[in-house]
Amino acid sequence: MEMMTSNIEHIPGFTITKSLGVATGSTVRAKHIGKDILAGLKNIVGGELKAYTELLMEARTEALGRMMMDAGQRGANAVVNVRFATSSVAGGAAELFAYGTAVIVTEG
Amino acid sequence: MFESGDVGEILVYSLILIGIAFGAFFPLAFIYSMLFGGLHQSKMFKQLLARERHVAALVGGDNIHTLSTPISLDKITQSSLVMTNITVGPSWWQLFLGGIKSIFGGNIQSFDKILAYGRSEVIQRLREQAIGDGWDEVINVRVETSMVMNKIKGGKQNKLGTLEFVAYGTGIR
Repeated sequence: MEMMTSNIEHIPGFTITKSLGVATGSTVRAKHIGKDILAGLKNIVGGELKAYTELLMEARTEALGRMMMDAGQRGANAVVNVRFATSSVAGGAAELFAYGTAVIVTEG
Repeated sequence: MFESGDVGEILVYSLILIGIAFGAFFPLAFIYSMLFGGLHQSKMFKQLLARERHVAALVGGDNIHTLSTPISLDKITQSSLVMTNITVGPSWWQLFLGGIKSIFGGNIQSFDKILAYGRSEVIQRLREQAIGDGWDEVINVRVETSMVMNKIKGGKQNKLGTLEFVAYGTGIR
């Protein structure tokens, strides 16, 4: 069964029957040096840096996936109140972190 | 056929040419940034405004909001997390102006523009993604800003001034 996620306190249409604690998932990504130089050159006129946008989205999706895996191992079928956090660790790398409350929900 | 002296000469000349090309590239790029950076960003803003108007006309108002309960929907059959992001950076000229401004302090106008653009763009992308994925409404929308891809080495922080904006919420239908 697919893991349900939301960033509100419940899953609409379902009732929470049991809380299984905080599920977390994180990933650390560093950029490619070639991409970095190219991004710097592309940014002469300012605006979006597509390479970074894609890289960070990919990383965030992975963090979210790991969080769901953690919740799955706890026996949950949903994660509520999901939050994201981003921090810079060690030169040029970013840590993306997703966390939420793993819960068991039943319909109704 | 080349003699050994000719080969040496060619090598020296080509090295000089490469040196000139590199030396000229950065000042030229800087001037280009100064002249066309503002123009490019105004164009981006115009396109964004057109897209915002298009979506507003399509859904008749707005399909995203920050409340935790739905406004127009009575019965929810499905819900899921929706998220989108963008990374933006100021132009070389704006970065230079910002550097000068940070000596005296005060409002850095050159950064205001790109920040406003990034935030509006990420919210607009959330609207478009919600429509694309078939969600009627996105509730409890949150927007976060972070400075990522920093360079902390050598005391020079965040050389490119890149900022990431994330918008996420719960899509319902």
